[in-house]
Amino acid sequence: MFAAAFTASAATAQTPGVTADTIKIGTFGALTGPGYLYGKLPMNGVEVVFDEINKAGGINGRKLQLVREDDRCDPTAAIGAVKKLVEQDQVFAIIGGGCSNATFAAKDTLEASKVPTLIFASVHDGITIPPAANIFSTATTSTIESQAQLAYAIEQGAKKIAIISMRDSWGRARYTPLMEAFKAKDIKPVADEELSPDANDATAQVLRLKAAGADAVLLLLYPKPAAVFIRDAQKLGFKPLSLGQTGIADPAAFEEQVGVPGATANFRTISQVRYTPEDPKMDKWRKLVEAKFPGDRLSVYNLFGIGSAEVLVEALQRAGKDLTREKVIDAFANLKDLKTEVYSAPITCSATDHRCNKGPAWMAKEPGGPIKVLGFTVVGQ
Amino acid sequence: MPFGRRNVLLALLAIGAIVPAFANGYQLFVCNLVAIYILLAIGLNILVGYAGQLAFANAAMFGIGAYATGLLQVHLGWPFWAAFPSGGLIAAAVGTLLALPALRMSGLYLALSTLAFAQATQWVFLHWENVTFGAGGFKTPHLSFAPLPVDKSVGLYYLSIVLVVLLYLFGRHVVTSRIGRAFVAVRDSEVAAESLGIDLLRYKALAFGISGFYAGVAGGLYSALLNFVAPEGYDLFQMIIQKSTIVVGGMGSIAGSVIGASIIILVLELLREVKGMQEIAFGALLVGFVLFMRGGLIAVLRRYVRGWEEPLRMTPRDQAQALAQPEARPSAADK
Amino acid sequence: MLLFSYLLMSGVTTGALYALVALGIVVVNKATGVINFAQGEFFMFTGFVGWMLHVQFGLNYPLSFLLAVAVGFVLGMLTDRIAFRPIAKNDIVSLVLATVGIGFILKGLARVIWGGKADYLSFPPITSPDPIMVGPLMVIPQQLAVLAGTIIIMLVFAAFFRLTRAGKMMQATADNARAALLVGIRTDRIYTLAFGTGAAIAAAAAVLTAPLTLLYPDIGFAFFLKGFAAAVLGGLTSLPGAVLGGLIVGVAESLAGGYIHSSVMELSPFLVIMLVLVLRPSGLLSFRKARRV
Repeated sequence: MFAAAFTASAATAQTPGVTADTIKIGTFGALTGPGYLYGKLPMNGVEVVFDEINKAGGINGRKLQLVREDDRCDPTAAIGAVKKLVEQDQVFAIIGGGCSNATFAAKDTLEASKVPTLIFASVHDGITIPPAANIFSTATTSTIESQAQLAYAIEQGAKKIAIISMRDSWGRARYTPLMEAFKAKDIKPVADEELSPDANDATAQVLRLKAAGADAVLLLLYPKPAAVFIRDAQKLGFKPLSLGQTGIADPAAFEEQVGVPGATANFRTISQVRYTPEDPKMDKWRKLVEAKFPGDRLSVYNLFGIGSAEVLVEALQRAGKDLTREKVIDAFANLKDLKTEVYSAPITCSATDHRCNKGPAWMAKEPGGPIKVLGFTVVGQ
Repeated sequence: MPFGRRNVLLALLAIGAIVPAFANGYQLFVCNLVAIYILLAIGLNILVGYAGQLAFANAAMFGIGAYATGLLQVHLGWPFWAAFPSGGLIAAAVGTLLALPALRMSGLYLALSTLAFAQATQWVFLHWENVTFGAGGFKTPHLSFAPLPVDKSVGLYYLSIVLVVLLYLFGRHVVTSRIGRAFVAVRDSEVAAESLGIDLLRYKALAFGISGFYAGVAGGLYSALLNFVAPEGYDLFQMIIQKSTIVVGGMGSIAGSVIGASIIILVLELLREVKGMQEIAFGALLVGFVLFMRGGLIAVLRRYVRGWEEPLRMTPRDQAQALAQPEARPSAADK
Repeated sequence: MLLFSYLLMSGVTTGALYALVALGIVVVNKATGVINFAQGEFFMFTGFVGWMLHVQFGLNYPLSFLLAVAVGFVLGMLTDRIAFRPIAKNDIVSLVLATVGIGFILKGLARVIWGGKADYLSFPPITSPDPIMVGPLMVIPQQLAVLAGTIIIMLVFAAFFRLTRAGKMMQATADNARAALLVGIRTDRIYTLAFGTGAAIAAAAAVLTAPLTLLYPDIGFAFFLKGFAAAVLGGLTSLPGAVLGGLIVGVAESLAGGYIHSSVMELSPFLVIMLVLVLRPSGLLSFRKARRV
């Protein structure tokens, strides 16, 4: 293993990861463990996009190759994964980043490597602020979403807003900017409760929120605890306006998970992608994903990867035939109003702001009815 | 001393010492991880393999060491060289406190209460946000080895190696001393040990304290390696990895801890090749090791490497078996 | 008062879930002295199997239930053969690690087979999903079904241990394996039976509660932890103790969440355990035999 690496690193004198007919792209995220939804599934989406591009002849004649590394949602494993991709697998660019803490821990390693990196799922603000020269993100960051949640609640006329959140790094990444957004608007949440990611019962939380008289509840939760919450709220007769975020990006799947008819009538959520998997416009991707990964069903997590891969492909194409890392980074920094097949808002990066996706779409689903896109909130900051 | 344990370990040390010369950044990172896990394994083996305390709190001690080292730097501005040993001592102190419940319980009950303690520690890391920064964790200041002209990763690696050697020797010394014999007595029969005048509280506290210190030191190194401390990584999965290192290496063997830790960490990295099947492969390896390598790799090495001696190695079961077999080798057990 | 009743009710229903997991752990431990760290994964895996049978293949609920329980039993037997029987005489850490290994294999398999289907799989409830009124409280009928199921399972197993020959043989083996061998009990068959039964209980629990808990490959460990805590609380060899332990853990969680704050919910079971173990180290309902010197 050592000897092989030694000879390999001596051989590539020119741009690593690029040969006459291939471009090696690395990806890291959770393939195993609870975070696999934000790692493996988006990676599957990326691969499907790469397949389509390769079928059409590749980028400037080079086929795309994806190398996956597992980070198990663990900071150490993420650093190890990135180091392996950069130093051993010698990839040209990286698209990835599932769990927030893991990606944040690897940020320094990514930055030092100068490899062009596109984050597809991690929401931690520390990853993009302060911006590293080579790291860009198509995931709507937690600040953006938390601000959007509060803005929407106020817009809908809510007077007593409550929060229910998970205590892990993902939840906290949303909670902190949300509290700052509250302060900026000079209001306080009427209740602030916690729910565990594997909760099976939310009775205590619902009762406390109800006692506080909340008319809107901001859910900083994954789909499972959110479903438990909505179900128990319904059971206890508590029906506030419930606002989700891109963690609960598929209202149809969510309605099924809640399992109580009518309970999701007051539920609205944001999605970074404009379509949900059942939408007929996503048929093309559904066929591709379900053909390549038998047994899988197209999910919104695949779409995160698909959208992000489209942006990466665009940047690679703009960098031209004489491919270098600096050119790709430049291409990213100059993306303006790029329309993709799946993202809600056009993708725009800039030299000072590497958060490229700032326009999540609000969605609602009539119980038993179709999904409606209610509009977009573009948050400035 | 005849060819045996010492030479194998010296060979490993020699390889370890020249790693930075030909390894890339990724391989150096992995080797540094191996060193950290060796420390954890030695400490855990002293507690579980020698003193027989079935404790599940080592991962929490690891976390306490990492958090203490990091927080002393971030909140109080201490330099790494002061925060690091303090982190180890704090973890040792907390570990010693665990001896108190260990007095009243044993076996699975002790396992559960130490597990409960570990969960409580995780909860504190997560919720005491003013101090620990909560779920998002915090970055630790970059380590510098000035005035030595040494790059941070290489410097940290050599620091880890030096600590491994020192603490290995310390561990061996403890285990072959009166204290070590007292530990084994406590493990094999608490009642008999007490009747010999061994103060259970003192020796259990010592065992917990020593393993806590090792874990705390490992934690401090870990925080410097990642430059980041967060609640993940000190949970029960971590505890399982640590237990695996001592079972694979061989319980009740300091040298075994070295080998077991190296193997487990290297296996975890090699499993990267299997991509999505990692969990299945890791589970199968665990079952395989336990099934086919009774007594860990040390048992295998004892058979095939001439003159490999292990102090105080035999468990009562081994002794009974050895007595039962007429052609029992005159092995180190009688030492 | 209403607040208390709701919290109590929710604590009891979650507690029943923990109790079911604890029962499986205790059954195995009673006969073999081993804690099956894969119990949570048995629960998860058979839950997925039940989903596959009922939702994917469209079999009716009772049939899916029975088949899932059968699969659970087989899983338990395999675990006994592979991870227990060959190493029954090893030290306890090795035994625990072997079951942990089995747990990882099951988790990885579940992720590979079902992981890509959705983030969380939902299982249609067997009862109508509309809440019903029990006195002043609104309850989801599925929760009542879980409670009833727990009590039935506990009674069935109590009867099994007390009244049937196999049950008595299991108790004898747990008491003193060598003596049991001497009187002609096939202890290896008993071990297989114990593991199989423990896994079957997990399967029954999984299918019963699947409509309430969404299926996901990683749900196993959280349940195991609470179930293990409940089992130790009740005394590792007592079946009613397992149920009592489960209910206490569930209720403590719920009351702490309701009256103090939801952030202490994750911690309260462990605080309760530490307290009980300090005051009564052998658990609530088990009677520790005096140590022979």
